Amino acid sequence: MPIGPILRAMKHNRTRFALIILEIAITLAIVTNCVNMILAERAKMQQKSGFDDENLLFVIATPFAPEFEEQTYVEKVAHADLRALQAIPGVKAAAATQLLPWQGGGSSGTWKTEGYPEKFQAQIYATTRGLFDVLGTPITQGRGFTEHDTPTDPNTSTKVTIISRALAKKVFGDANPIGRVITNGEGDTPRTVIGVIDEFYNPYAWNIGEYVLFTPGRSFGSRGSSYLVRVEPGAMKSVVSQLEPRLVAVNGGRIFRTLTVSETKDGFFAGGKLVIRAMTAVIVVLVFVTALGILGITSLAVSERTKQIGTRRALGATKGDILKHFLAENWIVTTIGLILGVIATYGLNYALVANLTDQKMPWYLVAVGIVLLWLNGLVATIPPALRAARVAPAIATRSV
Amino acid sequence: MLTYNVKIALKSLRRNPVLTALLIGAIALGICVSTTFIALRHLFAKDPLPEKSHTLFYVRMDNWDPQRAYVAEDPKSLPTQITYRDAMALLKSDIPVRQTPSYKTRMFVHPDPKVGRPFAENVRVVYNDFFHMFNVPFEYGGPWDKAADAKPEQVIVLSQPMNEKLFGGGNSVGRSVRLEDRNYKVVGVLAEWRPSVKFFDMTQSTTQAVEGIYLPFNFATTLQLATSGNSDGWKGSDGTVEGFLASETVWLQYWVELPTPEKVAAYREFVDNHVRDQKRIGRFQRPLHTAVTPMPELMKEFNAVPPAVKSMSIVSILFLVVCSLNLVGLLLGKFLARIPEVSVRRALGASRLQVFWQHVVECELVGIAGGVIGILLSMGILRAIAKFAHQQADLVRLDGEMIVVSIFLSLVAGLLAGIYPAWRVCSVAPAMQLKVQ
Repeated sequence: MPIGPILRAMKHNRTRFALIILEIAITLAIVTNCVNMILAERAKMQQKSGFDDENLLFVIATPFAPEFEEQTYVEKVAHADLRALQAIPGVKAAAATQLLPWQGGGSSGTWKTEGYPEKFQAQIYATTRGLFDVLGTPITQGRGFTEHDTPTDPNTSTKVTIISRALAKKVFGDANPIGRVITNGEGDTPRTVIGVIDEFYNPYAWNIGEYVLFTPGRSFGSRGSSYLVRVEPGAMKSVVSQLEPRLVAVNGGRIFRTLTVSETKDGFFAGGKLVIRAMTAVIVVLVFVTALGILGITSLAVSERTKQIGTRRALGATKGDILKHFLAENWIVTTIGLILGVIATYGLNYALVANLTDQKMPWYLVAVGIVLLWLNGLVATIPPALRAARVAPAIATRSV
Repeated sequence: MLTYNVKIALKSLRRNPVLTALLIGAIALGICVSTTFIALRHLFAKDPLPEKSHTLFYVRMDNWDPQRAYVAEDPKSLPTQITYRDAMALLKSDIPVRQTPSYKTRMFVHPDPKVGRPFAENVRVVYNDFFHMFNVPFEYGGPWDKAADAKPEQVIVLSQPMNEKLFGGGNSVGRSVRLEDRNYKVVGVLAEWRPSVKFFDMTQSTTQAVEGIYLPFNFATTLQLATSGNSDGWKGSDGTVEGFLASETVWLQYWVELPTPEKVAAYREFVDNHVRDQKRIGRFQRPLHTAVTPMPELMKEFNAVPPAVKSMSIVSILFLVVCSLNLVGLLLGKFLARIPEVSVRRALGASRLQVFWQHVVECELVGIAGGVIGILLSMGILRAIAKFAHQQADLVRLDGEMIVVSIFLSLVAGLLAGIYPAWRVCSVAPAMQLKVQ
C-alpha cells in the first residue's frame, strides 16, 4: 500500500492529527502509570502473613488499679487471663504477646550475629509458649519454648529465641541456624536460636516484614498485657461477646480493647484499596474517552472528505482501498502518539516516583499499554472507516 | 453584545443536541475527575490557619549521635522533636510573643460510675499559649491562665466529644473530672475542632483525631506523665524519670509565634546561640544545625499530603487535558462545518473579533454547563470516598474554595479548547466562501 499519498493527505489535517497524537501519548502515560501503581498496591495486599488471619483476635488489657505496679501481681493476673480465655467455648489457643498482625508495625531492634558482616534489623516479640499454636505456624526445625526458657527473674534477659525461616536464610544462609547466637547491636544480650518457623510476615515501616525473633520473655507489665487468641472457624462472634465479661471477672481493675485481626488487616489496606478503585476507574473512563475522541475526530474527517472519497471511488478505488486508507492513517497517527507516549510515560513515572519513591516502570507494562492502545485506536477507527467505504462513487458528480 | 452572543450560542448548541451533549460530557468528565482528586489533595494541603500560619514556627535542633545522623542516610536530617532540657532552655527566651512545648500522653478517666467504666483517653500537655497560637475555638469558658500554668493548677480543657461523653454536652465549666488519682476542674470546653491535618503534631499519622483533654504542661514533670507519642533516643539514660528528662531523647514538639521578620531573625540567632552554649558543655557534637520552620513549610516537609493523593491529583489534571483535547477536536469539526454561514456573516459586515467572541462565548457556555455537571458528579463521588475514610468522613467534601477552583478550571478548559477552533473559523475570508457557494 502506498504510504506517500496518505502522508500528503494527512498534511492537510495537521491539527486534527496532532490532537489525536497528544491524546494517545497522554493516555498511554496515564494508563501505564496507573496500572503500575495498582500492581504495586496489589502486590502488598497479596502478601500472606502465614497465620490463620480470619480466626485471630487481639485483646489489650490496660490496668488502672494500683496493685498492678507489682510484677508478681501482674503475672498472676496474666496467667489467670490466659486460663480464662482458653476456657471460653470456641477458643482454640491463646498466648500473651505484643504481636498484633497487620497493624503496620510492632517492635523491632538492631541485631548482630557471628558470620554475618553487618548489623541487621528484625522485629522482636516476647511471648508465652502457646503462640505458635495460635498463629498456626508450626516449628519446622529445632524445638519450641519450654517453661524453663523463661527466666524466673523478670529483670534478666531471655537466653533463647525462635526465628523465622526468612531471617535464618538472610543471616545464616543455608547453614543450620540451630545453636547459633544472635546479640543486640552492641553485642549484649546473647540469645541462642532453638527453633525456626517457616512462615511469618508482618508489614513494617522498613523492609523487615519477614524477619522476626520471638523470645520466651514476659510481654506484660504495669502498663498492661495483650493476648492473641485463635478461635474455631465461625466462632468469632460468640467469642468476642464473651471476652470482656470473662476478663473483668478475672480482674476488674483494667480496661479492655478487642480487635479482630481481619478488621485490622482491612484497616491497614483501606487506603490501598481506595487507590486501586480510583485508579481502575480512571483507566476505564480514560480509555473510553480516548476511543470516543478518536471516533469523533475520524468521523468528522470522513464527513468532510466525503466528496474526495467519492472521487477516489469513481476513479477506481475499491471499498477495501478506502477502508485501508483510513486504517493506515490511524495506524500512523497512533504509532506516533505511542512513541511520544513512551517518553511521556517515563516522564510521568519520574514525577510520580519522586512522590511515591519505590515504583520503577517495568518495560512489559509499557508494551502491554502500547498493544492495548493500538487495539483501542483500531476499534475506534473501524466504524467511521466503514462509513467512508460505503460512500457511493456517484457523490463525486453531485454538487454541494 | 454579550447577551446577543449568548443567544446565538444557545441557538447553535440547540441545533445539534447530540454533539452538544458530547461537548458538555467531555468537560463534565474531566472536571469531575480532576475536582475529586484536587479536593482530596486540598483536604490535606490547605492552610489550617491562613490568617496566621506564617507567624507560627516549629523549632528543631540536631542533638543527635556524632557518629550517625538522625536518618542515617541523610547527614542533614534533623530530629523531628526536641529534648526536655532544650525545651526548658528555649522557654527562657522572651522573643516569641507566645510559645509552648507540646506532647500527648494517655491517662485514665474515671467518669461517674453511673456513666460508665473507666477508660483511657489521649491528653495533650501544653501551656495556655497553645490555645491562643492555634486559634482553638471554645464553646464554653476558655483557656486556663498563666497562674494555672505556673503552679500548675488542677485544671483541664475538654474537647466537644469528650464533654459529650462525660457530661452529655452542655456548659460543664466548673465541674470536675477524675483523671487517674486526682480531680481536675474544667475551665473550658472546645467548640467543634477537627482540623483535617493534625498540623500542631505531625510526628505521627497526620490524620489522627485531636486529643480529648488538655492539661497544663508543668504536670509533665510533677505527675511524670510519659509521652504516648514518639520518643527517639540515641544515648541511653539510667531509666529514672530524672535521667529521661536530662537525656538526649527527643519527645517534645515546640512551637513559637513570631509576628515580625526581625523577631524571626532574632529568634533564629537565639536558638543557634543556645546550641553553641551547649556545645561548650559537650552536647551537640554534630555540626551546628537548627531549624525554625514556618507552619506551611513544615506541612510540606512532613508530607501532610499523602503521596498517593499527590500522584492522583497529577494524573487527574492530565485526565482533564485529554478531555480538553477531545473537546478541541469536536469543536473544530463543529465550527469548520459552519464556515459557509460564518462567511455570510463576515460578508454582511461582522468583524473578525465579533465572530471570534461569539464562538468563544459558545465554548464558555459549554465549559460552564460541563463544569456544573462535573462538580455535582464529583460531590457524589466524594461522598462515596468518605465512606472509606472512617474518622474524617464528613471532612471529605467540596468546600467553597474548591467549588470556585473547579468552576475556574472548567472555564479555562472551555477557553483553551475553544481558542484555536474559534480562531480558525474567524480567519475565514468572506469572499472566498461566497464564491464557492
